[in-house]
Amino acid sequence: MTTYQFFTTAWTRNSVVLALSTLACIGYFLTFGKRGRPLYFAAALAVFLLSFISPVNALANGYLFSAHMVQHILLVLVVPALFLLSLPQSFSVRSPLTHPLIGWIAGVGAMWLWHAPALCNAAATSRIVSAIQTTSLLLMGSVFWWQVLAPREEQRLSPPAGIVYLFTACTACSVLGIILTFAPVSICPVYQHPVDRLGILSTIRGDWGLTSDRDQQIGGLLMWVPMCAIYAAAILAQMARWHSSPQPEQSNA
Amino acid sequence: MNGTTTIAEFRDAVLDPAKRRHYQLAWLSTVDHKRIGVLYMLTGLFFFIVGGVEALFIRLQLAVPNNHFLDPDTFNKLFTLHGTTMIFLVAMPLLFGFVNYVLPLQIGARDMAFPRLNAFGYWCQPMGGILLHFSILAGGAPAVGWFSYAPLSETPYSSTPGIDYWAVALFVLGLGTISFAVNTIATVISCRGPGMTMRRLPLFTWMNFVNSFLILIALPVLNAGLAMILIDRQLEGHFFLPFRGGSAVLWQHIFWAFGHPEVYIVVLPAFGMVSEMIPVFSRKPIFGYEFVAASTVAIVVLSSLVWGHHMFTVGMGRAMDLFFIITSMLIAIPTGVKVLNWSATMFGGRIRFDVPMLFCIAFLIQFTLAGLTGVSHASAALDWQTKNSYFLVAHFHFVFVGAIVFAMLGALPYWVPKMSGRMMSDSLGRWTFWLWVIGFNMTFIIQHVLGLYGMPRRIFTYPDIPGWGWMNMVSTIGVFFMSAGSLVLVWNIAQSFFRGRVAGDNPWNAWTLEWATTSPPPHENFVALPPIHSRRPLWDVANPDRPDPVVGDDQVVLPDHNKTGILAFLFSEVGFFGTLILAYLYFYAHPQAGPGPKGLDVPRTLIFSVCLFTSSFTFWRSEVALTKQRRGSMLGWLALTILLGGIFLGGQANEYWKLFQSGVDLSTNMFSTSFFTLTGFHGLHVFMGLIVLLIFLWLAWEGDSASAKFGSAFKSVGYYWHFVDVVWVFVLVTVYILPLMR
Repeated sequence: MTTYQFFTTAWTRNSVVLALSTLACIGYFLTFGKRGRPLYFAAALAVFLLSFISPVNALANGYLFSAHMVQHILLVLVVPALFLLSLPQSFSVRSPLTHPLIGWIAGVGAMWLWHAPALCNAAATSRIVSAIQTTSLLLMGSVFWWQVLAPREEQRLSPPAGIVYLFTACTACSVLGIILTFAPVSICPVYQHPVDRLGILSTIRGDWGLTSDRDQQIGGLLMWVPMCAIYAAAILAQMARWHSSPQPEQSNA
Repeated sequence: MNGTTTIAEFRDAVLDPAKRRHYQLAWLSTVDHKRIGVLYMLTGLFFFIVGGVEALFIRLQLAVPNNHFLDPDTFNKLFTLHGTTMIFLVAMPLLFGFVNYVLPLQIGARDMAFPRLNAFGYWCQPMGGILLHFSILAGGAPAVGWFSYAPLSETPYSSTPGIDYWAVALFVLGLGTISFAVNTIATVISCRGPGMTMRRLPLFTWMNFVNSFLILIALPVLNAGLAMILIDRQLEGHFFLPFRGGSAVLWQHIFWAFGHPEVYIVVLPAFGMVSEMIPVFSRKPIFGYEFVAASTVAIVVLSSLVWGHHMFTVGMGRAMDLFFIITSMLIAIPTGVKVLNWSATMFGGRIRFDVPMLFCIAFLIQFTLAGLTGVSHASAALDWQTKNSYFLVAHFHFVFVGAIVFAMLGALPYWVPKMSGRMMSDSLGRWTFWLWVIGFNMTFIIQHVLGLYGMPRRIFTYPDIPGWGWMNMVSTIGVFFMSAGSLVLVWNIAQSFFRGRVAGDNPWNAWTLEWATTSPPPHENFVALPPIHSRRPLWDVANPDRPDPVVGDDQVVLPDHNKTGILAFLFSEVGFFGTLILAYLYFYAHPQAGPGPKGLDVPRTLIFSVCLFTSSFTFWRSEVALTKQRRGSMLGWLALTILLGGIFLGGQANEYWKLFQSGVDLSTNMFSTSFFTLTGFHGLHVFMGLIVLLIFLWLAWEGDSASAKFGSAFKSVGYYWHFVDVVWVFVLVTVYILPLMR
């Protein structure tokens, strides 16, 4: 299969994902109606769908660790963030999950836990484990972002604390990225010898030049660098929030 | 106090032996941030002359082809000393001197948060400088370049003790720098004056505050690397020795993970200086304060992600090159934002071309050029061609000299009047400026061309290739202009002290708080602070009818300075242990024949670990007892904590003993090298903790525990003790538990 053929045909029609997305759509509009911010919701949904029906999913499904990493990052960092942004400003949750420490552990744990070799392998081979993984990633991502993107200002961390929160999380995930990049052994052995269901392996190894070593290196680098860029953007957003907090109406006199 | 009394006092102090002795002691034992700031700057200026003379010799050797003025070995030593001196002993102390003097004044503080720690940080500087240069007498200066690449820096290839002195000197300087950063963070967070909220900080203060975090990120990585190379050289480890299984590339990763942030560590204070001076001499507030402030944060975050661009020529592979290319290009954005903001500040302003402003303008132009050649190096393809040529030499000298040194040369006439009470001469200042602009550009612009013509860096001489000779000669002549400019500068500072016009409180009509007090400021800095509601309090005082917009509310929250200080310190320890753990993991992933982690006695270690973890609990009980003022129970729990810590250390000693007996020591293989290093440094931290806890036990025994000061200090020690336990969790998992899971 050539690269062109692959990218035109490898779109998966995953009925479960489509059904869940439709349900989520209906649920969102029934619950929030016009109060929400549907554009953000649409974006969250679009990213979610893309990561599951586009060729990225086909590649992540046992072929490329780096494609798996793209999916992983989208599910932990992008989809939950967009979802929280789509919530109406009046929305609030009271739960022990909204403690900053829990949020931090969820965000960092989502990265570390699922890259333990056994779990990473299981998620790449078993559909059930994969479903559990997806759910947990979305949930942990939401718990993580809640500290920064909760709809109500008073439920968020103050901007300086938010910067510390994001920076330390970024560092903790970068360390994993560094380990993946330099690890001489496969973190997720499934990807070393893929079962070539689609007949694309020779294109991947040959035309794309992605040996399994380089594939894992790219996966690690994705976690190390672009993911840090997401955190860095969030840190800058905290700076913007800090400096745009309202000016009191008083004069110097 | 005004200028006249200063000068009279100064004469008395020099002429009267009794007073002279008093002044000597007063300066040597000072803990006043202003005096320490001046000492920092004098040290920096002294080593500036040393490093400058080294540079002069280098340029004299290169002035003509086939020159034999210096032999190759001397040349190598000189450029190693020149690089190390200029970065660690000139740029850093000079910049830190300004920060030490100006930052507490700008936030209306009485002094730095920890004055004695401040003195310690300063005295590390001359100590480090002496250690580095003592190597010349002790059998040979280091001759391996400022980055001391392995394996050249290892014993088989550099057998003289030069590298050992180099490493110990940098370690000492690193400790001083970290203590400075801890102090700066604690000062800004915990010592601000009324109304000085974090959003109203002057940009110089803000940038140095943010920069201190970068120091705490970067310097511990270097310290870990230096510890490793010293272990290689002194204890026969082989971290960076390829033929024993070590990795020379690992040294490069460690060095540049420090080295690239280091560029920003020295450039951010310079940015801060320029951000103060350009608005004052353009008679406008800074354009886009928020953008300048936020882009500083962006630089700090990104700068820890770009070190790979120093290693394109190592052969890291296309994937890694690509990512580092992208991040290196990204970092041009926040830097560019700053340049645009400074330009926009000048745009439409009533610019006064005083000497500081002249230097700022030269800074802007030269820094932009440096940035352009810099961002071109982000492209690996171009980097491969130019990296080891004079093009790169020209690039980084444009950053270090064209930007940082020029910012400092501008900051001297700007802030020295505050320190001495006397203005520096304007006409002499202009001489310095023009001599430096001409000399600097003569020396370094042509080096770009030389590099593109193919002249490699770090060669002691070169054949008579067409064009090279005259270009090198031009480059060398430029150095004499800069030297002359420096002599004029020194003369200018010295004469201003005696003959300078009295400065008054605010000679530049500036708006930040350091200008609200006398020049020089009294010992306690301020008699009374003006009201602070905006970023330019003195503008508001001078223009009550049209004050700056109020920024945020007036409420200032000042956390306990002991707590901020210890947390900042522990933040730096994360980087130190993180580097050691990653190095351990690296060698764990490349197993060698011989002893390995499987041979360790895990159950026994677990028992001793439980003792250590329990000691965190007992310490917490001791703290609770202290707050409830139950002295006996507090002493009991504290003694138990010390006992448990002691048992842990005993356990570790026992483990080491057994390993030694079975013939495993640090030099056996890579596992033993990295194992002993990691657990040894942790043990050292436990040991230090025990000493501090014993001191507190003694203090509490003597009856000191009732004071509030004791409680706050005790809590800080607690943070340290818990941190050491948390580190052990990670060490335990990495070293003992991980192999069980295979």
